[in-house]
Amino acid sequence: MNLRAIGCNVASAPVELREKLAFDEAKLRFALAELTARYGVEAAILGTCNRVELYLARPETGSPVHAPLVAEFLAELHGVRPDAIHPHLYEHADSDAVRHLFRVAAGLDSVVLGEDQIAAQVKTAFESAQKFEAAGSLLNALFPAALRTSKRVRTETGLGAGQVSVASAAVAYLREIFETFTDKTVLVIGAGEMAQLTLTHLKALEPAGVLVTNRTAEKAAALAAECGGAAVPWEQLDDALAKADIVLSTTGASEPIVPRRRFKEKVLPKRGRRKMVVFDMAVPRDFDPRIDDGDRVSLFNVDDLNRVRDQQLAERRTHVGAAETIVDGEVSKFVQDWNRRKDGPVIGKLTDEVDRLREAVLEPLLAKLNGKLTDADRAYIEGAFRLFQSRLLHGPIAALRDSAPEAHGLTLREALMKLFGLKG
Amino acid sequence: MTVSPLQGITHACFGLSYLLALGFEAARLARPSKGLRIASLVAGAAGVFAHTAYIAINQPTPAAPYGSLLLLGWVLALFYLYGSFHYARQSWAVFVLPVVIALVGLSLLLAHDSPVNVPAWLSGDRFWGAVHGTLILLASVGVSVGFLASVMYLVQSRRVKNKVNPTRVVPLLSLERLETMNRRAVNVAFPLLTAGLLVGTLLLRTEHDAKENWLSVKVLSTAGLWVVFLLLMYLRYATSVPARRLAALSIIAFGLLLIALVASHPFLAGGATG
Repeated sequence: MNLRAIGCNVASAPVELREKLAFDEAKLRFALAELTARYGVEAAILGTCNRVELYLARPETGSPVHAPLVAEFLAELHGVRPDAIHPHLYEHADSDAVRHLFRVAAGLDSVVLGEDQIAAQVKTAFESAQKFEAAGSLLNALFPAALRTSKRVRTETGLGAGQVSVASAAVAYLREIFETFTDKTVLVIGAGEMAQLTLTHLKALEPAGVLVTNRTAEKAAALAAECGGAAVPWEQLDDALAKADIVLSTTGASEPIVPRRRFKEKVLPKRGRRKMVVFDMAVPRDFDPRIDDGDRVSLFNVDDLNRVRDQQLAERRTHVGAAETIVDGEVSKFVQDWNRRKDGPVIGKLTDEVDRLREAVLEPLLAKLNGKLTDADRAYIEGAFRLFQSRLLHGPIAALRDSAPEAHGLTLREALMKLFGLKG
Repeated sequence: MTVSPLQGITHACFGLSYLLALGFEAARLARPSKGLRIASLVAGAAGVFAHTAYIAINQPTPAAPYGSLLLLGWVLALFYLYGSFHYARQSWAVFVLPVVIALVGLSLLLAHDSPVNVPAWLSGDRFWGAVHGTLILLASVGVSVGFLASVMYLVQSRRVKNKVNPTRVVPLLSLERLETMNRRAVNVAFPLLTAGLLVGTLLLRTEHDAKENWLSVKVLSTAGLWVVFLLLMYLRYATSVPARRLAALSIIAFGLLLIALVASHPFLAGGATG
């Protein structure tokens, strides 16, 4: 195997560099074409917001591509100095490169442990490599194996289970309360970053409408325009609360903007038995926590959501061992299978060569004994030679198949070819 | 004459099948597994099959406590099986199966008190009696579904109130869905119960008009159940009472239903035992 995984990720390179190394469709196409043409490699490029990695495979007889060359290539492609890139690159070789990709695909190398988007991104990287004809026999075997490993990790361990962001924790709570969202109204109070992030998740639920209110009307109008909602004057907050089913609040107010009495007197009576979920993301809090009755009104503050996220991350960490075991097993299997595939032609040639030698010895012998042997005798002699041949070859073939993946496998293969005079 | 193997089915066959299904479900909660789900469904389906065959062969009458509990358990078992397929991700069975098992167990306990010489249900001998029994039985299904939805609602509501991590607990239907389920169950059960009670009142008046019959536990608890339902309808549609209180009332209604089902029936010959 002659495989390299070379790249940088969130742990090795700052976001400023990762931004510069990002690939769009045109750059990706160009890069894959250049890599295959210039270096004679199979290539796949995995680009996400957290990593840029090149998977490069060459025929075993060729010298591997190393990080400095990749740094130069990326520098040329993205207009960055090579010495600004090279210190941030890591390089994994052969079975370590296989392991790296399998761990990446399984979410073991992700910022958010076990996140599931990465598997789709690995798949996209592979599809691009195929589409632009940059994938060859090794990458065509490697990436599907990585995706299988990812699937196994997700189905056989709890690494990908649960919610691991504040926004997804909010959605998980909402699903415990509401059955459908297409008839629900979301109210955003304030325009904090957290509200915008959570709103992005809530929009995916396709609510009937989004209302935005802010002390500064312009800010409300801007956010409303951005999220396709409607701005509501700050003075109409009580009416908006009465209409809303889901509330996201992130004002910077130093006092609660909705005290219990105000809520009880001006909002609750207008709501009937309709349920309301309030996500109070503000610190200090915008809503009096006593409005939560666990029935009509459920209120979650930022600590409640953080706790869910932290618990889930801790839970995921307990599955890392099991996930790593699956990855190790899949790496060994892949490397062995690959070597077996690589050894196939050598074993074929070896068998053919010994077949030829056997025939060369057997034919004159049988010719010399012609007339003195019965058919049964001839069959017995031919069988004995075949048995001898198979016992002779069993040891070398088994040793080759069982040999350690890289260096030894290659050495043995070469040794066999030399010893038996096989031609490459 | 050959005897069908189905005639050998007893309470134990379906009761134990349901218990087994419940055991698999409980194990599935501890460790989710497709195999356990399939095992649970197979055991549950076997229980429903045996239960159905038992009812078809023995034709228990809903007029007797034994029969009414057995029939109600059967309808709820069908409900369990439907829900297990329909709400595959929710822990449906752990709520429904205990009720089914309890009803089957209770019917077994009351089997020896079953009255003799009871006309077969829907035999034509007592048409209006059968109509009354069917209406009350269907209403009982509604009451039971309302009860199950209410129990699940209170559990889910408590979790939400205590901010329990949704990913760390047995999944349940949403509060909104459970409230809808309870509302529909009550909406369906109330007219059936009302009609069943009217037919029963007329029968009681025309055929068994004695003071002790009017004051029997069965009649009083059924009347109490109807009053609770009336109250539920009023609170649901005329007030903004929190859904948790409605759920609590639905649970009380189920308690009254159980009393009514277990109590002996004034229509039956033999009086005291049914």
